[in-house]
Amino acid sequence: MRKFGSGGLTRTRRGALGLGLASMVLATAACGGDSGGGEELQNADEVSGEGKSLSVWIMEGTNPDADPYVEDLKTAFKDETGADLDVQFVPWADAHDKFVKSIAGGTTPDVAEVGTTWTPEFADAGALADLTDVVDEAGLDGDLVPGLVDAGTVDGGLYGMPWYAGVRSVVYRTDVFEKAGVTPPTSWDELVAAGEKLKAANPDMITFPVPGDSEYGVYPFVWGAGGEIAAQEGDTWASEIDSPEAQEGISFYTDLAKEHGFSTPAATTWDEADLSDAFSRGDVAMMIAGSWTPGALVEANPDLEGKIGAFPIPGPDGGVSPSFLGGSHLGVFEASENKDLAWALVKLMATGDMADEWSQQSGFFPGTESLLQKVQEEDDPVVSPFATQMVDGGASLPVTPLYGQVQGKKTVSAMLQSILSGDASVADASSQAADEMDEIFNQG
Amino acid sequence: MTTSPDVQPGVAVTESRQTPAAPSGPAAPGGRPSRRDRAGNGLTPGWLPWLLQAPALVVLFGLLVYPLVRVAVLSFQDFGLRELVTGESSWVGLDNFTEVLTDPLLWKVALPNTAVFAAVNVFLTVAVGTAVALLLAKLGPWARGILTSAIMVAWAMPAVTGTYVWVYLFDARDGFVMQTLGSLGLVDPETTNWFTERLPFFAIATANVVHHGFPFVAVTILAGLMTVPKEMLEAAALDGAGAWRRFRYVTMPLLKPVFAVVTILSTIWDFKVFTQIYLMPGGSGTNREVLNLGTWSYITAISQNRYGLGAAIAVLLTLLLLVITAVYLRTLFKQEEL
Amino acid sequence: MTRTASSRFWLAIGFLVVLGFSLGPVLIMLSTAFDGRANDGSRGLLPTEWSLENFAFVLDEGGFVTYLRNSLVVALATVVISSALALLASVAVSRFRFRFRTSVLIMVLVVQMVPLEALVIPLFIQAKTLGMLNHLFGLVVVYVAFSLPFAIWTLRGFVSAIPRELEEAAYVDGASWPRMFWSILFPLVAPGLVATSVFSFITAWNEFVFAITFLNDQDSYTVAAGLRQFFTQYGTDWGAVMAGSTLITLPVMIFFVIVQKRLSDGLVAGAVKG
Repeated sequence: MRKFGSGGLTRTRRGALGLGLASMVLATAACGGDSGGGEELQNADEVSGEGKSLSVWIMEGTNPDADPYVEDLKTAFKDETGADLDVQFVPWADAHDKFVKSIAGGTTPDVAEVGTTWTPEFADAGALADLTDVVDEAGLDGDLVPGLVDAGTVDGGLYGMPWYAGVRSVVYRTDVFEKAGVTPPTSWDELVAAGEKLKAANPDMITFPVPGDSEYGVYPFVWGAGGEIAAQEGDTWASEIDSPEAQEGISFYTDLAKEHGFSTPAATTWDEADLSDAFSRGDVAMMIAGSWTPGALVEANPDLEGKIGAFPIPGPDGGVSPSFLGGSHLGVFEASENKDLAWALVKLMATGDMADEWSQQSGFFPGTESLLQKVQEEDDPVVSPFATQMVDGGASLPVTPLYGQVQGKKTVSAMLQSILSGDASVADASSQAADEMDEIFNQG
Repeated sequence: MTTSPDVQPGVAVTESRQTPAAPSGPAAPGGRPSRRDRAGNGLTPGWLPWLLQAPALVVLFGLLVYPLVRVAVLSFQDFGLRELVTGESSWVGLDNFTEVLTDPLLWKVALPNTAVFAAVNVFLTVAVGTAVALLLAKLGPWARGILTSAIMVAWAMPAVTGTYVWVYLFDARDGFVMQTLGSLGLVDPETTNWFTERLPFFAIATANVVHHGFPFVAVTILAGLMTVPKEMLEAAALDGAGAWRRFRYVTMPLLKPVFAVVTILSTIWDFKVFTQIYLMPGGSGTNREVLNLGTWSYITAISQNRYGLGAAIAVLLTLLLLVITAVYLRTLFKQEEL
Repeated sequence: MTRTASSRFWLAIGFLVVLGFSLGPVLIMLSTAFDGRANDGSRGLLPTEWSLENFAFVLDEGGFVTYLRNSLVVALATVVISSALALLASVAVSRFRFRFRTSVLIMVLVVQMVPLEALVIPLFIQAKTLGMLNHLFGLVVVYVAFSLPFAIWTLRGFVSAIPRELEEAAYVDGASWPRMFWSILFPLVAPGLVATSVFSFITAWNEFVFAITFLNDQDSYTVAAGLRQFFTQYGTDWGAVMAGSTLITLPVMIFFVIVQKRLSDGLVAGAVKG
């Protein structure tokens, strides 16, 4: 692994200590320029990578036991190109900082899994290669899942190859629901009614925890109520998180905790990891969680095997509330010295058998429509509700690198936490969040 | 900062010891360089001292002084991820400082959280440390050995680990403290989350910081207590002075420089406290009420990629600490030379 | 008599309180680390089910063998380099009179007041420029810089405490300066070096911000950085976190208990002689 990031590591050594900002800037520019402009990315049927090695970053935990997949991938890639792979797993918690640091430090890998919300940010910074042409040349442009393409498109260029998609719905304990005589709710009123029944039947459990340190739980309710996070006006964005519709959604969501007592004060500082912890301890009746979680939950607590179900997040009066269509792109980094080889790897990972294997093992949905269709046809109780959610109600966050800053500042989580802890009303907290977003949008 | 409480005692210890001795010449045998050194003597050429300290000075200038200048430069620029990659950067004059200084977050949250927290923690750390030192001085050799080992262990636990343990202890639903108090009926675990409110949040952080910081104070002051001549204390006892009076009128004045040093060093560390806040629930930005200057600067720069603005916050924190440094220097070196 | 008895009673109480406060958090750490069911929510002073599982996991899958080795390399290199540089510099400032001597001393003092987080960004850019990112040596250089100021101040006290006559006697015997340094100054400063070594060791061992900022490559993580991986998006592995923490804390504890006597000797010696 020490070989990676050759651009930054070798070329800039002459920048001696003490030459000041100018030398740093020149050195950075030099290494960006060299590797960026030197090589045009091309699609080829065969790339020889004999004696070469690519470094690859993959998020940790997406696939609970990823080692067999990595072995298969290494073998397949070696067979195809003769090149070796150096695969490293990156914990999500550190991933954003780690990417930022590696981009800033010129130590990026050749290929990496990039969370869809980060792709515009890194593309805007000039760190990712434009894949539009090679995707066309490879004849893949019609087959990619549209939501993921949108999320990876900046100024008309596609900077991330859709790899897999995931969506959040409600994950619940089938045994607990059954005992309380509750069936999956299909509207907001039913959700509350179900909650009341569950709470009465299981006073020791947390009926529906509302985590204060996770933004993804509130989006479906904002969208479900007809609100938006932000709207694009020409070149700029304006926050709409304080619109009456959005506020209605936020109120409903936070009232599940404050009004109905379905949550616990502890959840006010929980993130999604804490939420999963609580669920796998058996403390939770239902929660908003991703399509990728059921497998991990059973792994953490085998007693839950067969007791986990899922249902789409209901709309206010039936239907499905849109949920954030998350997932990951595969990106080729500009600083890579073997971009053709890197693209060959991306193709291998994102299409065909390897993509199929990944989605089977990880519980995520594949990024190509042909494979997605295959998954939808299977009728798995913890898969098909998510597929329904994804097809009927998949939504994306504002596609602008500035939204990455909003997420970095934790604007939405801060809003939630202040409402949940009783520090601010929905109106105050949402208008403050809107101000904060607008401030970030305006300086961009 | 993770490192500081563990590290800096070295300075404190010797420095403190020197202060009382040095001004009065004869008490510092050999400490005062004789005159012929001024130009170097026949055996030691004049360039020798520079040769000896050159490596250390290079490291200090390269890694502390120069980066500090760079922070100052960055604070006048609009510098983000894009600028870092492309190499462009633009001067924005005082914009970053204007933004920080007009942000109510600074005056209502970050500054009080930094200053008040530091004041409380310094007081508690020094008080607890002194009490423990006095206790240690009274114990027999066996008990003292055991207790010193125990406080060394508290000192040895890394700040990262320590923070996780304290968070773990006070965890809102199944933390040990919450469960114990809950089973005694003192708090209701179903309605309490200590991490969401500013005061309990910082109370827990205080327990953590004091736990990590008092051993240094205790060991330093104990070392100081050893140097207090027994005869003076005995004489005071014969004059009828009780334990408190002996401490107040004999020990305290003698150890004044030691107290000054531990107080000022603790102040500096507690102003700079970062890890202990950042790793607590909500400390990394979700709970705006608990930001301090250190975490605010780090989050602005690293999580939001606004390096220029983050640098401006860092510059303010540095200036604040330089004022304290000045006090430190004045306290220690009022009448004597370095 | 009653007075003595009551004072003994209060001493015992004080002893227990301090012992409890010092070791309480440590016990929680140990009990969770040895608990095979650390993640099921029940927490107490004793493990519900004794097990070494967490340690096995941390060392094997958690990669702590590598991290411990990295940390040890970094810490020891920091100790050696900073002791050497500090010793030379402290001899210079305490044994010689030269222009800017006071300025050098003030600089050394002021420099340790700088908040280290403030230096994260510029040092990061600088390390990038020098190609030091992801190299353990880059981290060593930074830690040396952090530990130098206190090491210089501490050793300066020890050096000043050595009587000049010893030095002069060596010259009279015909020794050159380097010889005198090696055979007279060095042995006498040794206790001071023990003290500064402890502090440099801990700086390097416990540091966390620079470790996660500089190191992007999991193979070069130090222990403090490696701990972060057990906090995942899918849940926190408390058993692993505490087992990892125990592994981090243990070597420092052992180091401390061993040097404890020398350390307090060193501190007191520095106090008396300085």
